[in-house]
Amino acid sequence: MGKKRSDIYSVEIHGTQDPEKTDKEDEEEKYKDLKGNKKKSKKTEDLKKELDLDDHKLSKEELEEKYTTSISKGLTSARAAEILARDGPNALTPPKSTPEIIKFLKQMVGGFSILLWVGALLCWIAFGIQVAQGVASAFDNLYLGVVLALVVILTGIFAYYQEAKSTNIMASFSKMIPQQALVIRDGEKREVSAEQLVVGDMVEIKGGDRIPADIRLIFAQGCKVDNSSLTGESEPQSRSCDFTHENPLETKNIAFYSTTCLEGTATGMVINTGDQTIIGRIASLASGVGNEKTPIAIEIEHFVHIVAGVAVSIGVLFFIIAVSMKYKVLDSIIFLIGIIVANVPEGLLATVTVSLSLTAKRMAKKNCLVKNLEAVETLGSTSIICSDKTGTLTQNRMTVAHLWFDDQIYSADTSEEQTTQSFDQSSQSWAALSKVVTLCNRAEFKPGQENVPIMKRVVVGDASETALLKFAEVILGDVMGIRKRNRKLAEIPFNSTNKFQLSIHETEDPNDKRFLMVMKGAPERILERCSTIMINGEEQPLDRERAEAFQTAYMELGGLGERVLGFCHLYLPEDEFPDTYPFDTDSMNFPTSNLCFVGLLSMIDPPRSTVPDAVSKCRSAGIKVIMVTGDHPITAKAIAKSVGIISANSETVEDIAKRLNVPVEQVNKEDARAAVINGMELKDMTTEQLDEILINHSEIVFARTSPQQKLIIVEGCQRQDAVVAVTGDGVNDSPALKKADIGIAMGIAGSDAAKNAADMILLDDNFASIVTGVEEGRLIFDNLKKTIAYTLTKNIAELCPFLIYIIASVPLPIGTITILFIDLGTDIIPSVALAYEKAESDIMNRRPRHKKKDRLVNEQLAVYSYLQIGIIQSIGAFLAYFTVYAEQGWLPNTLLGLRVNWEDDYYNDIEDSYGQEWTRYQRTYLQWTGYTAFFVSITIQQVADLIIRKTRRNSIFQQGLLRNKVIWVGIVSQIAIALILSYGLGSVTALNFTPLRVQYWFVAMPYAILIWVYDEIRKLFIRQYPGSWWDKNMYY
Amino acid sequence: MSKEEKKPFSQTMAEWRQFVYNPRSGEFLGRTAKSWGLILLFYLVFYGFLAALFTFTMWVMLQTLSGDIPKYRDRIRSPGLMISPKPVTALEFYFNKSDSQSYAEYVSTLKQFLKSYDDSKQSKNIACTAGKLFEQNEDRAIKQACQFNRTKLGSCSGVEDDTFGYAKGTPCVLVKMNRIIGLKPEGEPHIECLPKEEGKVQITYFPDGGMIDLMYFPYYGKKLHADYLQPLVAVQLAIISNRTKEEVTIECKIMGSPNLKNEDDRDKFLGRISFKIQMSE
Repeated sequence: MGKKRSDIYSVEIHGTQDPEKTDKEDEEEKYKDLKGNKKKSKKTEDLKKELDLDDHKLSKEELEEKYTTSISKGLTSARAAEILARDGPNALTPPKSTPEIIKFLKQMVGGFSILLWVGALLCWIAFGIQVAQGVASAFDNLYLGVVLALVVILTGIFAYYQEAKSTNIMASFSKMIPQQALVIRDGEKREVSAEQLVVGDMVEIKGGDRIPADIRLIFAQGCKVDNSSLTGESEPQSRSCDFTHENPLETKNIAFYSTTCLEGTATGMVINTGDQTIIGRIASLASGVGNEKTPIAIEIEHFVHIVAGVAVSIGVLFFIIAVSMKYKVLDSIIFLIGIIVANVPEGLLATVTVSLSLTAKRMAKKNCLVKNLEAVETLGSTSIICSDKTGTLTQNRMTVAHLWFDDQIYSADTSEEQTTQSFDQSSQSWAALSKVVTLCNRAEFKPGQENVPIMKRVVVGDASETALLKFAEVILGDVMGIRKRNRKLAEIPFNSTNKFQLSIHETEDPNDKRFLMVMKGAPERILERCSTIMINGEEQPLDRERAEAFQTAYMELGGLGERVLGFCHLYLPEDEFPDTYPFDTDSMNFPTSNLCFVGLLSMIDPPRSTVPDAVSKCRSAGIKVIMVTGDHPITAKAIAKSVGIISANSETVEDIAKRLNVPVEQVNKEDARAAVINGMELKDMTTEQLDEILINHSEIVFARTSPQQKLIIVEGCQRQDAVVAVTGDGVNDSPALKKADIGIAMGIAGSDAAKNAADMILLDDNFASIVTGVEEGRLIFDNLKKTIAYTLTKNIAELCPFLIYIIASVPLPIGTITILFIDLGTDIIPSVALAYEKAESDIMNRRPRHKKKDRLVNEQLAVYSYLQIGIIQSIGAFLAYFTVYAEQGWLPNTLLGLRVNWEDDYYNDIEDSYGQEWTRYQRTYLQWTGYTAFFVSITIQQVADLIIRKTRRNSIFQQGLLRNKVIWVGIVSQIAIALILSYGLGSVTALNFTPLRVQYWFVAMPYAILIWVYDEIRKLFIRQYPGSWWDKNMYY
Repeated sequence: MSKEEKKPFSQTMAEWRQFVYNPRSGEFLGRTAKSWGLILLFYLVFYGFLAALFTFTMWVMLQTLSGDIPKYRDRIRSPGLMISPKPVTALEFYFNKSDSQSYAEYVSTLKQFLKSYDDSKQSKNIACTAGKLFEQNEDRAIKQACQFNRTKLGSCSGVEDDTFGYAKGTPCVLVKMNRIIGLKPEGEPHIECLPKEEGKVQITYFPDGGMIDLMYFPYYGKKLHADYLQPLVAVQLAIISNRTKEEVTIECKIMGSPNLKNEDDRDKFLGRISFKIQMSE
């Protein structure tokens, strides 16, 4: 049993997992504990998908047998084709996407569409009945039904198109250049596309290649791989053909698909392809983690419910009223259609989509590429950001941060664009140190980069050497020239046993025939080899005092989380080492002790210069920034402090313990604002403990965490009702990215799997870009509020005519078709224009909105739009309606109760207030004039509505009437469309518009002004009496 | 997330009850009594103000109108034609000449309609010069009306035959032109009716030739021209039939006047009218 279990490994990889710890059962228990409830533990089961891989234990012969292949000759082409047909191509199946047709149909029935379909259906039913009854105007209903159906279909197509467009941006992302692999088949080496690889193929890899499949190494020479996309560990790992560990993930003789080979060469046998690879299994896990509904989707759903609720209840109420007022059922159905059409803001969802995509475009310019339109707003409501350290908060390159020489610590400039260093460079010690730094270094600039800024040049060499090279180049300039002048005679490169690097040079001073030996390495190892130390250019004996000073400096720099290197040198005496002395690095025929210690240099991956500002912006915006990193806690804490994630004056429990000199257990945890949690601690925590940490500490750093633990942290944050944004780049991050309310993948460093799982891609990998994204997201939420308030208002002005028509039996003031012309014509551009409105105040100075309390459409918004501005608009429009009728001879009192006769096709001599008689068609034409006047009045008042919606609190004059030019484009378009409809298309009977007398355009003007004035008063009171009854009831 | 699992029904109900009336905070539908009071007071004032403003603006608008003639008459440039009696539903007459009940409705309508044409009611009206427009001075507050005696309608006047011919199978239909203030017909307007089915109907017009005399124009409106009687043309249809049931469609038009339209595409009643008569025995 025990042996059997050891064959089964978890895909869960803890970067720092103790290799000896193989008691899986125990670990699984803890994991379950952490997850808490049963439902979650089922998912855990998924996560811990079994991995029954034993190929790493097999001998070459066994492997050959298992895969029926030959190590020397490879597979035959025929056999390979056979296996390819069986297993499928060696590629990851893209995450299952919803079929296009389903997506399309969803748009057809989502939102208000159902309501409109019902309206269309009712129209056709009414048409059917009327045709049977032989009513002349029956076809109007048929047309209206068709128009409604068209509206649904067109807005559906539009939304689908918008959605598809934003998906396409992504598609271009995932397209990659087809990878080639060098494979042995039929005994010959040949290049094939990596997709053609099959199990049993023999492949050759060299430095720089991407591993094309999971491979059991048969032969390896100096092979190192970068497993960071899989495990999150950034250190290169060596690979050989030896079986070193039971766990296939730990053993050295397996290389994994999609990781990269950094150096060396290797030959191996393909053991897993495509979705069967470890990466493939993890990627498929990500699709298993459910995608949460975005906050804006919830808000829109909420809003649709409100509007649909109002529409249906008013519709049904008036249907009942109409029936009980002895209207015919058929007529009542037609009223119902009118009420539905009037109540549904047909164009609004399209407008919202356009507004979101406008913002998405704006964000893309600021390096936030949004995959899912709704994620635009999600970013704005984010209350916790779980950010990676490397590359997101930091520059992702080692840079010299501090120096220690002459018994003093100097700090160096670590900004991205450094061109000079300003520390004191006059000391002789510095001259000596700079020489060691320059000479004892194997890194070189790639040629042809003379015009590139130093910090941006490409370097061949490892991270620390690169840092030193660039540092030297910045200060001394022409490092390559210096090296040429100090010719290198011998060199011992760095290795892990002696932990130092050494080289011997001629000096550039022609009079000095001595050789210079320079050495760098781990500070304690270097110090061991020294007997003197250079102080102010003078060699002084390295006594205890000096050694202590060194220790203090070393500890201090180490405490900053920096990687410290020691430097020493020795001038070889001329007599012992003449010109022709044969240096031999193997026998080390030169002294390597009693050297002269020169100084220390420490390096760190420094924070991006924009990050501290961005973090403080987050803080004032009420967003908690949590750092989640695989790095060492000390480094993590140092970076957290330098970017402000842990603010200058806050302490962790450990800090307090140190200060008070008491054990950690005695410290009151609530006193500590900050917390640095180690991944190992996190593993042993229960859900409650994690929650407690997340609640009690405002500044949290998770160090030494595995990508999987990110998922646990995200879930913990979501339990606090937070909207969580998570950044990630590795494949293993994808479940966390999926789980997060908004997953943010890194555009440069991110793996494809992470990009697939994310909602947003950060093109420059920069944390600061997230903050600008947050700002845009908050702005669009505010602006959508304005758009919706604007759109809802006129619904009342469209609805009232039907209510009055039913109750007072007046001729119909506005037709259903005309309403559609407002909803889908005049109102569209203005409501989009509101998306361009600038923020009223600093939106980054308020708390993120509460998911459940701060709704997009709240009671105040609905009530203010429906019951106040909407009513004013209706009254204004009715004034125009009564004016048109009165001036043509129908005084208001004549109109009341006139409906039945008015609509009687055979009643062609109805008398008006002046004794004139009207035929049916003459009345109808007048009715259309009434429609047009009503329409124009709504349009004119919507102009006022548009202007007042620019702000919710500030006066329009504070906001600037002309600042948002698009609003004016909206107003002009609105009026232009109305003019065209009235005068241009007034003769098209089907549209029910007529050319209108000029003065009717101005009838509703007083009410338009009233709307503006009233809203200014409302805003004035809100500003004057914050927190008052008025503020509570009138601010939306 | 587990939090978003569906709540049990009882809990939903309890939440609703809580919302309708919350005994702890005394909230009714989410507001306390005081809060309701304030909000209702606000809307009372707000809507009161709007009602006042609407009334005021309507009043201002009505002040700009004259009580005598409407401001615009451009929507009725040309009159429509209409018949009396008007059947309840479509313009289709169904009657049985031997069943007085079947046409009682038509007869009573005609009687009612013609009452205002009784001589007794026309004592104030004057006899005008035939064939000439009767234009009256503008400063005249009350305009005079021309006489239109029922006798002009001959056998359709209801004087001799109080069934207006229905009992004999020769029904009368009155054709009238819609009143329009200030309308001055040109030429010699007269009504001309044509049956769709030729030879089935013999049509007699009263007055002769279906003439509409110009002296009845112009009309000055209900207020100034209270006694105005619009000119009528009676059409008596003698249906020539061998069968017990005969259906005829008649189309009447106003002819002879260049400014009275009768061919409008959309308005089937502008200067014309078409009706159906089905008589049985």
